[in-house]
Amino acid sequence: MSNILQELEAKIEGIQSASTSKTNVGIVREIGDGVAKIEGLSGAMLNEMLEFPGGLYGLALNLEETEVGAIILGDYTKISEGDEVKTTGRLLQVPVGKELLGRVVDSLGQPLDGKGPINAKEFYPVEKIAPGIIKRKSVNQPVQTGIMAIDAMVPVGRGQRELIIGDRATGKTTIALDTILNQAKINQAGEAGGDPNFRPLYSIYVAIGQKNANIARVIGTLEEHDALKYTVIVAASASDSATNQYIAPFSGASIGEWFMQNGQDAIIVFDDLSKHANAYRQISLLLKRPSGREAYPGDVFYLHSRLLERSARLAEGYGNGSLTAFPIIETQAGDVSAYIATNVISITDGQIYLEADLFFQGIRPAISVGLSVSRVGSAAQIKAMKQVAGKIKGDLAQYRELAAFAQFGSDLDARTKATLERGQRVVELFKQTQYQPMDVQLQAAVLWSMQKGYLDTIPVERIKEFQGKLQEFLSTRKESTLSKILAKKQIDEEVEKELAAALEEFKVIFK
Amino acid sequence: MKISREARRAAREMFRLSLVDGRLNTARVKDISDRLVTEKPRSFLEILKEYTRLVRLELAKRHAVIESALALSEDESSRILADLKTRFGNDITAELRVQPDLLAGIRVKVGSDVWDGSVRNRLNTLSQQL
Ligand SMILES: Nc1ncnc2c1ncn2[C@@H]1O[C@H](COP(=O)(O)OP(=O)(O)OP(=O)(O)O)[C@@H](O)[C@H]1O
Ligand SMILES: [Mg+2]
Repeated sequence: MSNILQELEAKIEGIQSASTSKTNVGIVREIGDGVAKIEGLSGAMLNEMLEFPGGLYGLALNLEETEVGAIILGDYTKISEGDEVKTTGRLLQVPVGKELLGRVVDSLGQPLDGKGPINAKEFYPVEKIAPGIIKRKSVNQPVQTGIMAIDAMVPVGRGQRELIIGDRATGKTTIALDTILNQAKINQAGEAGGDPNFRPLYSIYVAIGQKNANIARVIGTLEEHDALKYTVIVAASASDSATNQYIAPFSGASIGEWFMQNGQDAIIVFDDLSKHANAYRQISLLLKRPSGREAYPGDVFYLHSRLLERSARLAEGYGNGSLTAFPIIETQAGDVSAYIATNVISITDGQIYLEADLFFQGIRPAISVGLSVSRVGSAAQIKAMKQVAGKIKGDLAQYRELAAFAQFGSDLDARTKATLERGQRVVELFKQTQYQPMDVQLQAAVLWSMQKGYLDTIPVERIKEFQGKLQEFLSTRKESTLSKILAKKQIDEEVEKELAAALEEFKVIFK
Repeated sequence: MKISREARRAAREMFRLSLVDGRLNTARVKDISDRLVTEKPRSFLEILKEYTRLVRLELAKRHAVIESALALSEDESSRILADLKTRFGNDITAELRVQPDLLAGIRVKVGSDVWDGSVRNRLNTLSQQL
């Protein structure tokens, strides 16, 4: 009998010693501005979650011989000197999955919209290793932005990283927002069409260091156009801590990666990485890290490259999913040679450069033809767009050069005159009101009519009016032709004939 | 506490000189700190404070704090101490502390490593999992 009792006691002891957890602890020596210096914690790992009293967490960012520098993910004023801090063995994670669609979350994936808890089934670490080069597939599927100037001249492919860069208030956010709205429009049409192979494109919009009013404007616009349900918004506003602003794009990337890893497509907008770099600089100063150019820490390049590396298109065998990134950078007086701008330019696959001058002349979106590029190029266009837009970028760039000195000379030769006439009309065509993304089939039809000279006889001041009415005419009366362009993805002989007939018909109506 | 980079470097250098075969040597610590105080180099007080911090951390690595909800019996404490000596070597020192808010069980801390077998810790873990 006493034997069995001993056995039972041994069992209890076994269970107890097994549940004795080994951790590593430290003591807070300094706390302030969301950053803590902790003595001890000799076993902490880089980016490990640290537990503070009262259920607060921090991230270990600086590992030194006798000290750890951590950023606090919450109300740091509740932490005091002398508090004990524990390692957790975990990395920071955020909820991921379709449950996040339609939601506004903070940089830890917690809801900000008052719509109740998010019942996500999966979590992803916020810092992740980018897909290796083997798993990547070349980019050749388009992301239709719905902005004709972009889709025609700087086409973006799924898995690409395309920078949107320009001075303040030049329409950067609007370009990203229009792109998100266009995906919602395509998704709705695709779902209604019932094609089993239709691949919806979801959007993640990450707001970093922006005024709450700007974030509200984005949410409001998405709601108004019924696009929020395809979108996840990750918000770390100017009133949030530098820590939260620093983490937000990484959390957004994890949410985006879930779609990619599960054979789906998503785009992610980082609005903007200039403010992100500032948040990182602030944290680094508090952690007393050595700083380099423009007082940014030396690894700010690595910060943005490891973020943008996470966008890719995965190979067939890995589900064929994609994540397309649109980082945004704000320039000062158009200067693209500033430190953060040059860094991000070198990491991305091209840029959409917005010019304040154009914006104020009323050329909106204010896309600079000469400075905007997409390294993926026409590989990301459907054939119909390649057919009608192949030469436009070159022609328009030539027009801009000629236009500059055409002001001085009156006697221009016929060819120069023709280039100028055509250029002026293309500039008009590419003006596009915000929140009115255009379907690719309509873009192709409009550009086709320009290519075939149907606009040459229309006075420049009436081009917008002509275009508006033509688009309405085609959308309401020639829907079958437009559908054929979409289905065939090209303008073949049959479509060409139908378009020609439609344009003849329209010219008679248009006075 | 703000401390200059040079002071930190000096303190670290002094600390290195205080080690013999990787262990803190009491005679050297005394000698080095005495010399610092008599010679009074630039910002020697800063250096002394930083040096003291390093010595304190090093000592903590060889010192165990054993906490229990109720006072341990002679037998229990000597068993634990013997166990610590086999693990960390004979020169480890230990102190016992009674910490009622552990509820039950013991918690051992050596340097910054903690083995927590207390009921409080288990309850915390449980409540986090829920
Ligand atoms: N294509 C457009 N047509 C008409 N108005 C536009 C267009 N694009 C942008 N705008 C207007 O220009 C203003 C600035 O646009 P937006 O906020 O997108 O610029 P931004 O570069 O993101 O600015 P910020 O530097 O404040 O982030 C907004 O009021 C917007 O409505
Ligand atoms: Mg903006």
